[in-house]
Amino acid sequence: MAKKIVAVIKLALNAGKANPAPPVGPALGQHGVNIMMFCKEYNARTADQVGMVIPVEISVFEDRSFTFVLKTPPASVLIRKAAGVDKGSNEPNKKRVGSITKAQLQEIAQTKLPDLNANDIDAAMKIVAGTAKNMGVAIAD
Amino acid sequence: MANSWWELQILSDPDLEDSIFWRLGNFGCRGTASENKGDLCLVRAYLPKNQQQLDLAAILLLLRQDAENMGLPVPTIESIVIDEEDWAKSWKEHWQPQEIGDRFLINPAWLPPPEKSTRLILRLDPGVAFGTGNHATTQLCLEALETHVVEGAVVADIGCGSGILSIGALLLGASKVYAVDNDPLAVQSTYSNYELNDISSQRLVVQEGSVERLLELKEPVDGIVCNILAEVIISLVPQMSKLAKSTTWGILSGILVNQANSVTDTLKQNGWSVASLQRQNDWCCLNIQRS
Repeated sequence: MAKKIVAVIKLALNAGKANPAPPVGPALGQHGVNIMMFCKEYNARTADQVGMVIPVEISVFEDRSFTFVLKTPPASVLIRKAAGVDKGSNEPNKKRVGSITKAQLQEIAQTKLPDLNANDIDAAMKIVAGTAKNMGVAIAD
Repeated sequence: MANSWWELQILSDPDLEDSIFWRLGNFGCRGTASENKGDLCLVRAYLPKNQQQLDLAAILLLLRQDAENMGLPVPTIESIVIDEEDWAKSWKEHWQPQEIGDRFLINPAWLPPPEKSTRLILRLDPGVAFGTGNHATTQLCLEALETHVVEGAVVADIGCGSGILSIGALLLGASKVYAVDNDPLAVQSTYSNYELNDISSQRLVVQEGSVERLLELKEPVDGIVCNILAEVIISLVPQMSKLAKSTTWGILSGILVNQANSVTDTLKQNGWSVASLQRQNDWCCLNIQRS
């Protein structure tokens, strides 16, 4: 049907756990989007990934109907998983909490490439490496 | 109020978004919502206010450090407090019963139907598929259906979305509607909505796909309704014509007024003529018949 998009909103949510509390309620409620239907659909489509953060990009149409696509997990979540650490460092410039290999960096960048502001894998690796640095996770040679 | 929330509004370079998500997670953030603002990204982060003090200075310091580490501009940050509300229900305030044309009343599924209305009440749970009754093109199509559908008509709905036009045709007396949509969520939505309207399952056949699914029908249809977009309609017209007999009518919308001529040209080449054009805002609806 005729679709004119009035808003595109990306939400970072825990897979299978969406509910009307923030960020879902305030972000979608202002557009009159059927929040309960969104939560139901999101939870159904991410039920097999519980424990991960699965961002979702929601397009709201002129008639307040919507559609959504699932996106790749935040780089920080993928880095933490690859490095095998629970938390990053609060003082990343002084204290390292772990490391990932260049191959892991490339793999994460490849996963994230469609969702990053990057035209090629090198640019994506640079962004992911920056996030890793901010977390106190080193890139091992 | 049970709770209130800090909403941090952080305007940053998009490359910093993942670092922001990471940093705020350490401060108890329950999730983020982000939107593009030109070349920048506006991240809204939500932290329960009652559980902790907001150390905005610390957050800003860390985000500044993260941005400088990546060679990016330092983001700006603002905070507001929002009160907890019943978000599970408050979105419904945007939806009210809506009269369309001379005969329809679109009634949100959670509201009781008005007792005294003489209109055809079309119950709808608006959501994941286009066609809530709020858009000009949907309204134009429903009004056109009022004119065209006669008792017992067989109608094809191409790009059925929420199923609103299929259900509208059935309420007007169509004996059967064949509906298709490429989007599986739309197919599901059409099923849910027709169940809301107590329509016999034998009167509505919904399939995932496009017009090629309708070509499997053995008989031509009495009417075709198609509310998609001009370029899609143009590509579908040749196949659509194979569904028609000499008396078949068509209702086409999703067409911007300045696109009407190119659709009309394609229709003429495929044995259709435009009987009338209805317009609402920038959109139009073509009522067509076989030449």
